[in-house]
Amino acid sequence: MRIFPRLKFRTKLNLGMSAILVGMAVLLLPLIGTMSANSLVEESKKRGSALAEGLSVRAVDPLLARDFLRLKNMVDEQSSVEDVIYAFVQDKNGFVLVHTFQKGFPVDLIDANKVATGQPLHIQLLADGSRRIYDFAAPVLVSDGRLGTVRIGLSQARIQMAVQRQLTLMAALFAGALILATSLGTVFARRVTARLGRLRAHAEEMLTGNLDTFSGPEWGIHCWEKQQCNTTQCPAYGETRRRCWYIAGTMCPDCNNEGNFQCRLESCRRCAVYRENAGDEIQDLAETFDVMALSLKSHIEELRDAERNLRDQQRLTRTILDVSPDRVSLVDSTMRYRGCNKSFAESVGMSLAEIEGKTDFDLFPEAEAEERHMAARDILQSGRRLDTQLMVEAGGGEHWFHVVCVPVFNDKGHIDGLLRTDRDISDIKRYENQLIQAQKMESLGLLAGGVAHEINTPLGIILGYAQLLQEDVDAGSQIHQDLAIIEKQTQVCKKIVADLLGFSRQTQSAKREMCFNNSVMEAVSLVRHTLELDKVEIITQLDDRYPIIYGDPEKLKQAWINLLTNARDAMAGQGGTILIRTRLDTPGGIVSLWVADNGSGIAEEALKKIFDPFYSTKAVDKGTGLGLSVSFGIIEDHGGDIRAESPVPKDFGFPSDAKRGAGGGGTVFEVNLPLDHEGPEGGEPEKE
Amino acid sequence: MRFRMTTWAILLALLVPVAFASGCSDEKPVKVNLSKREDLVAPRMVEAITYAYLPQYSHTISYQRHRRLLEYLRKTTGLPLRQIFPDTFEEHVKMVERGEIDISYSNPFVYVRLAKAGAQAFARVIEPSGEPNFRGQIIARSDNAAINTINDCRGKRWIAVDPNSAGGYLFPLGLFYNHGIKLSDFETVDFAPGPGGKQEKVVLAVHAGVYDIGTIRKGTLDVVRNKIDLGSIRVLAETRAYPGWVYAARKGLDPAVVDAIARAMFALNVDTAEHRAILSAAGMKGIIPARDIDYDPVRKLAEKLNLDR
Repeated sequence: MRIFPRLKFRTKLNLGMSAILVGMAVLLLPLIGTMSANSLVEESKKRGSALAEGLSVRAVDPLLARDFLRLKNMVDEQSSVEDVIYAFVQDKNGFVLVHTFQKGFPVDLIDANKVATGQPLHIQLLADGSRRIYDFAAPVLVSDGRLGTVRIGLSQARIQMAVQRQLTLMAALFAGALILATSLGTVFARRVTARLGRLRAHAEEMLTGNLDTFSGPEWGIHCWEKQQCNTTQCPAYGETRRRCWYIAGTMCPDCNNEGNFQCRLESCRRCAVYRENAGDEIQDLAETFDVMALSLKSHIEELRDAERNLRDQQRLTRTILDVSPDRVSLVDSTMRYRGCNKSFAESVGMSLAEIEGKTDFDLFPEAEAEERHMAARDILQSGRRLDTQLMVEAGGGEHWFHVVCVPVFNDKGHIDGLLRTDRDISDIKRYENQLIQAQKMESLGLLAGGVAHEINTPLGIILGYAQLLQEDVDAGSQIHQDLAIIEKQTQVCKKIVADLLGFSRQTQSAKREMCFNNSVMEAVSLVRHTLELDKVEIITQLDDRYPIIYGDPEKLKQAWINLLTNARDAMAGQGGTILIRTRLDTPGGIVSLWVADNGSGIAEEALKKIFDPFYSTKAVDKGTGLGLSVSFGIIEDHGGDIRAESPVPKDFGFPSDAKRGAGGGGTVFEVNLPLDHEGPEGGEPEKE
Repeated sequence: MRFRMTTWAILLALLVPVAFASGCSDEKPVKVNLSKREDLVAPRMVEAITYAYLPQYSHTISYQRHRRLLEYLRKTTGLPLRQIFPDTFEEHVKMVERGEIDISYSNPFVYVRLAKAGAQAFARVIEPSGEPNFRGQIIARSDNAAINTINDCRGKRWIAVDPNSAGGYLFPLGLFYNHGIKLSDFETVDFAPGPGGKQEKVVLAVHAGVYDIGTIRKGTLDVVRNKIDLGSIRVLAETRAYPGWVYAARKGLDPAVVDAIARAMFALNVDTAEHRAILSAAGMKGIIPARDIDYDPVRKLAEKLNLDR
């Protein structure tokens, strides 16, 4: 029931004024009525007293002279007075000498009021049925002697009528005042509220975004017109929407250009422009409102510009951050994520929005989260930047990251958060390892080459002498057989030395156009006999289109032999089958070779390292670990690639009736060589 | 909010009784029935010896002057005396003649007329001056430079007390006659109007400048002392002394009554405080016996003025 607050301001003003007047009337009318009634009664009493006393004085002579005519005339005179009901004169014995009653005398009156000896007057209120009478008794005195009593009756009804008239008049006056005040109040309130309403409407428009409203009066003279000033560079010059006293930095010589608005306004109060244009509080409010709207508008425009700028900057920064492969993230001092780039979001598998507010423990496995958390806390406490490399095992592999984590300071110099950049350096790391390996291999090659070179000559002499001595002894003798063993083992040594030399020496390859199948068949024929001794069967499925490639036949042959012997070694002496398959893929421009065995196969971990030099799963005296590495080098030299797969895929087509090997799934090596080639330094390929 | 409501309520509670309490009246009326009427009949008057004072002053003054004396006489003689108030000198004379006034206190001129009707003087007063005689005075305004002697009165406007007034008309008229001024020599000769209080009216008429000269009984100025500034009135002349005011009994009044009253009057002694108060109120110093012969000078004056009718 909050009715009053909802009423219009105008109604409230009117109600307030009316309430004051009604309240005054309610409070004052009875009060004033009673007071005036009392004073009227008092006044009437005084008048009655005066009448009675006057009559008593004038009655002396006629009383003394017993002149009843004069007495009668006197009392009759009294009854001609408006509200006198009766008058009569009593002698000192109380006998009524004369009276104003027409027929008989109301005997009740005689004793109704008496004035005691020594009293000047006595007033008694009488009640006669319907009316009330004030009875005044005044003694007729001569010196100290009493001749009689004069009695006058005054109608109270007339007094009350007078009081009533006065009250009615006052009520009418109040009513008139109420109507007048309400009318004037309405006019006044309408004027005030119309202006307030205009202000309110403009305020509402401002709320809806229209800042071009104009609430202040449009009349008034502008300062530059009034002062006839031609200072066009003054900020107030030509300004029509603001009064000059709202404008800072005006150049009028009469103006106080310093100090705040109030100080300036002090000097304005003496200015003729101000005196002509200044208005009441509502006009001040309206003008201030306009100025406010104007400055608000310019502020909003500035803000919008700033916002647009900021948005552009943000977009740019976001773009820069998002295109960066580095994982960039920002955490606050409570170690919650406040921002990150796209790369980071992808790495944790969440959207940018989801990450905001999360902790490390929400995004990472516990161990990693713990590690990141500890690091972050350390930086938040110490303020030192972190610059390190971390290895993370994820997705079945190792990933290396270069982590830079720097504290972010606020304008007070306190650490507000941390900016962390995780750069994936796995590739660099791999290249680095390869570089190290290459360095190692180069050193080793140099060492091995030197050693092999030194050993090669004595081995040749040993071989020569062994062969010479065989010629000198009988073919079936023990010595001959011993010498044959020496020769054979020396041959083995020479082979090892030759391999070593081949590995270490950066010999220029002698490439030429050659038949791919021939190179394969040559290698097969070379090792077939030896392998058969080890119960290894070789099956060939060569492409009969005889693909021609550009390569070094000897080196390639070496590579194939390495692959074949490697397959044989996978049999673990239990025999098996080796399938050699070639395929020409003319549209792809490649020729492929597969060497598959049904040997023991290669473990998944070992598969990655089989091409590393000196890596071997064989027993210490069973191999050098150079074979596959050398083959890898040869294939790469020919612009091809080599990879291994174990076990052999089922759809490879390995013959089901093949001779059983060691069992273990076997291994297949795939070599792809390009058919097209570029000659050395772009020159013509060497002809065979 | 609640506080404000409470404040308003208290304020109203205080104001409303104040507003209405003052409207209450504690007057309680006496009930009368004005319709119960009767025709009043005056009770019969008690038989009394009437006493009248020649109305040279107003009835009130007459009453005041003689009230104590009458009370004294009533007490002393045991007679039922009542003062009555004729309005004029003429009425007084007529009432004595008709026997309505038993004891008349009048001036010597009136007495001369009363004597003709059979009234008999039995006492006279000693004036406040100590003499049993009194005089008339001719007065004018102090600032009236045109009147310095009696002769200057010729052609002037004269106001006198009453054609029957001794001190206030006849004595001064005799004086004017002695100076050869006749009534016809005055511009106007008027007498104080209305009943009673005529001596004072003369003084006031001269004081107001309505008349140039006035004639009064000597002693009147003391009576009006409180009404006007006596400095503004100049006594132009005084008449010779004539026998003073006289008490006369009407023709046929019981001599025993007269004797009783006369004795009581003569018993008044100014040296007694009680009697002094009575005499002083009546404007006299004492009462002495009188005979009709004492008033022959007055009769002579009347003759001279051709008033002896």
